[in-house]
Amino acid sequence: MKKGFPGISLAVLTIVVACCLACEIIMTKDPAYMDLANGNTAPCRTFLFGTDAMGRDLFSMIWYGGRVSLFIGFFATLISTVTAVLVGSVSGYAPAWIDGAIMWLTDIVLSIPGLLLTVFLQAVLGSAGAWGLAVVIGLTSWMSMAKVVRTEVLQLKNTDYVLAASCLGGGFFHILRRHLAPNFIPSVLFMVVMNVRNAIVAESTLSFMGIGLPVEVISWGSMLSLSENALLSRSWWTVLAPGIFLVMTLLCLTNLGNYLRKSGNKRHSNL
Amino acid sequence: MDVLTVKNLSVSFYRESGEITAVKNVSFTLRAGEILVIMGDTGCGKSVLCKSIVKLLPDIAKIKTGQIYFQGKEITGYTEKEMQKLRGTSFSMVFQNPMTALNPCMSVGAQIAEAVRLRQPGISRKALRSRVMELLKLVGLDRPEERAGQYPVHFSGGMAQRCVIAIALAANPEILFADEPTTSLDAGMQAQILGLLLELREKLGMSMIFITHNPEVAVRMADRVALMRGGELYRIGDAEEIFEETIHNNH
Amino acid sequence: MRKPYITIIDELSKFALSLFLLSVLVFTMSRLAPGDPLYSYYGDRVEKMGTQEQEAARERLGLHAPIPVQYVQWMKGALHGDFGISYKYKTDVKEVIADRIGNTLLLGGLGFVIIFVLALLLGLFCAWREDKAADRVVCGIGTVTSCIPEFWLSLVLILVFAVWLGWLPSSGAYSVGMERNPADRGSHLILPLAVVVLGHLWYYAYLVRNRLLEETRADYVLLARMKGLSGKQVLYRHCLRNAMPSYLSMMAIALPHILGGTYVVETVFSYPGIGTLAYESARYQDYNLLMLVSLMTGGLVIFGNMLARIINVWIDPRMSLKSGGMSGEVREF
Repeated sequence: MKKGFPGISLAVLTIVVACCLACEIIMTKDPAYMDLANGNTAPCRTFLFGTDAMGRDLFSMIWYGGRVSLFIGFFATLISTVTAVLVGSVSGYAPAWIDGAIMWLTDIVLSIPGLLLTVFLQAVLGSAGAWGLAVVIGLTSWMSMAKVVRTEVLQLKNTDYVLAASCLGGGFFHILRRHLAPNFIPSVLFMVVMNVRNAIVAESTLSFMGIGLPVEVISWGSMLSLSENALLSRSWWTVLAPGIFLVMTLLCLTNLGNYLRKSGNKRHSNL
Repeated sequence: MDVLTVKNLSVSFYRESGEITAVKNVSFTLRAGEILVIMGDTGCGKSVLCKSIVKLLPDIAKIKTGQIYFQGKEITGYTEKEMQKLRGTSFSMVFQNPMTALNPCMSVGAQIAEAVRLRQPGISRKALRSRVMELLKLVGLDRPEERAGQYPVHFSGGMAQRCVIAIALAANPEILFADEPTTSLDAGMQAQILGLLLELREKLGMSMIFITHNPEVAVRMADRVALMRGGELYRIGDAEEIFEETIHNNH
Repeated sequence: MRKPYITIIDELSKFALSLFLLSVLVFTMSRLAPGDPLYSYYGDRVEKMGTQEQEAARERLGLHAPIPVQYVQWMKGALHGDFGISYKYKTDVKEVIADRIGNTLLLGGLGFVIIFVLALLLGLFCAWREDKAADRVVCGIGTVTSCIPEFWLSLVLILVFAVWLGWLPSSGAYSVGMERNPADRGSHLILPLAVVVLGHLWYYAYLVRNRLLEETRADYVLLARMKGLSGKQVLYRHCLRNAMPSYLSMMAIALPHILGGTYVVETVFSYPGIGTLAYESARYQDYNLLMLVSLMTGGLVIFGNMLARIINVWIDPRMSLKSGGMSGEVREF
């Protein structure tokens, strides 16, 4: 195995994803059931990670909610990646003035406060579910990747084999698929992993702020949205349990992403 | 007198995939004032040999066996500190690609001045300036006052190489290592730079180790020639003798 | 090579145009989004108002006209420095913002300065100790901090330092009646500031580290070492200098993100700043307030990008021969 391969991260990530997918087997309680008599119970044998203010079992919620959070992470990334690759390669491949215009517009969209964009998109899409939130997050996070794709395409555009392909009459999508995409995939791969991470962060942050998923839809973010009250009642487990899972997942994704980026660089320092 | 003696030098690179020996059991001497050309194909270890003498190899490369003597003193085990002193005063190097060897963000004058100041720490501003001008003139750059303030992007390859040579000369070196100094230049420039190096040798009386893969360049420069192949130095001798032999073998 | 003043005029007109487009976009978006601004003005009383009363109120707030007409109205006022009143606070939006901007500038500005200095130092340190134990430890800790969402870090810090230890206050910018007491304000600032710094620091420090490592692989390092410089000297005198243009342009882009990205932290700590205003106004259709806040934060983003481009063209001699680089990166020949 290569040096620096994030074996542990990959293993932990696989376990978390697998457990979330198979949460029915692992869960000890119904995650949505509100056992109001046992609200704010500290971790004990019946409630492994304790319960939240509404008496739901945190241990079961983590796996069940993780499914939603991971789904949003991956689906949002799918949307942002497709958008980024399309915008980036069109921009890079188009004549300079169109390219300039697209990049300028991208910059302006980037300067709209993300919060407003999110609130607006959510209002337009009109649903507060996981699908809707994933679309919103996907549509607000493609810009920086688009810039990377564009830079790569610009560099590749003038290489001989792309020129040859377009001289032979290859259409835009043919060239994109056969010649451009294989070349920028390595550098985009890193950004894809990071986008999954950022989408999960966005889900949890938005849900926490009250503009993401409602409390009834269980996810790591919506679980944490109750934790501000938990601070008052000193039920630390409602803050720590979902948060630690969240951070652990994010850390594994980051290590994976960093490895993908690093594996390109083989040269040695001259210092 | 011998300025530099290398005895049974072996250099290895330690990679994850294992050990690669780039220089195998190489021995030679460099006499005062002579130009020794080390010739061989790309990847034969000539550049590694050169960098291992001045200890500019990356961390993963180690001198495995052998000794290096400079002016009769063994320098094989010199620490980085001691090597720094040697590099700033006795050893200088000219690199293959002058455009990347010069720092793109520093004016050429500042880069030469830095080298001068390292050799003469307490030098006054005025003396420093005149020394930089002197060096620029020495390597044949016209309008040195104007040139000193410019950045490498404003220079052609040949002019940039002259600046690199000026930096190398700032140390008043005993030995100048020239690692394929003309390979990246076009033919006209190549001839000019080679001429300059020969002229400087006459003027300053330094010794030179000149690395090249190009026999024509070797013929022009060499007093003596060392031939390398696969990390081994298999033949060393006077230039005429070796070239005659090669021509003879080729026919 | 383009004349510098042409670049400036070019950039300034581009800046103005971007700002204009931004205002159109935000104006249209905010008005198209569902939600009734009357709630922001009257609160729950709206429900008790009759249809006619509501219409009259709309008329008074200038909300009845078609969007383009409303925009022209707004623009007319804005060009004279009149940005309208906030529906929620019932005063000039400029006053609402003026009340709070100091808090955000203190939090974001101080955060930016700390990040600016620490990122450079950490990056340098890690590049110098590349792959040695110290570098690995710092990288490890840094990666972990970069993975903690800001809101959760805030919660944990409140839990530990306010709830458990009781050392620091958990919310607000000052205690009641202590507005002018620096020690009190400082103690309220520590936790939010820690979150702002920790939330961004490693991202930039790691970029500095990698940028420097790229530089250490360049050929000029060998020439510099051949002059007799030590590795450390080469790092400081050569590599750092060459990485500086891209660091400065990177930080120009970072400035609006750090300064304008404090809303999560402000919300968790109930810190009265621009971030919480932006959040409220976007959620509760306080149109005029939203417009001004968006123009300020968005304008800052556009300004940061512009600054980054100018830095690239002006202070990097490698760029001086090329005309206007688009992206924020510096490329070598």
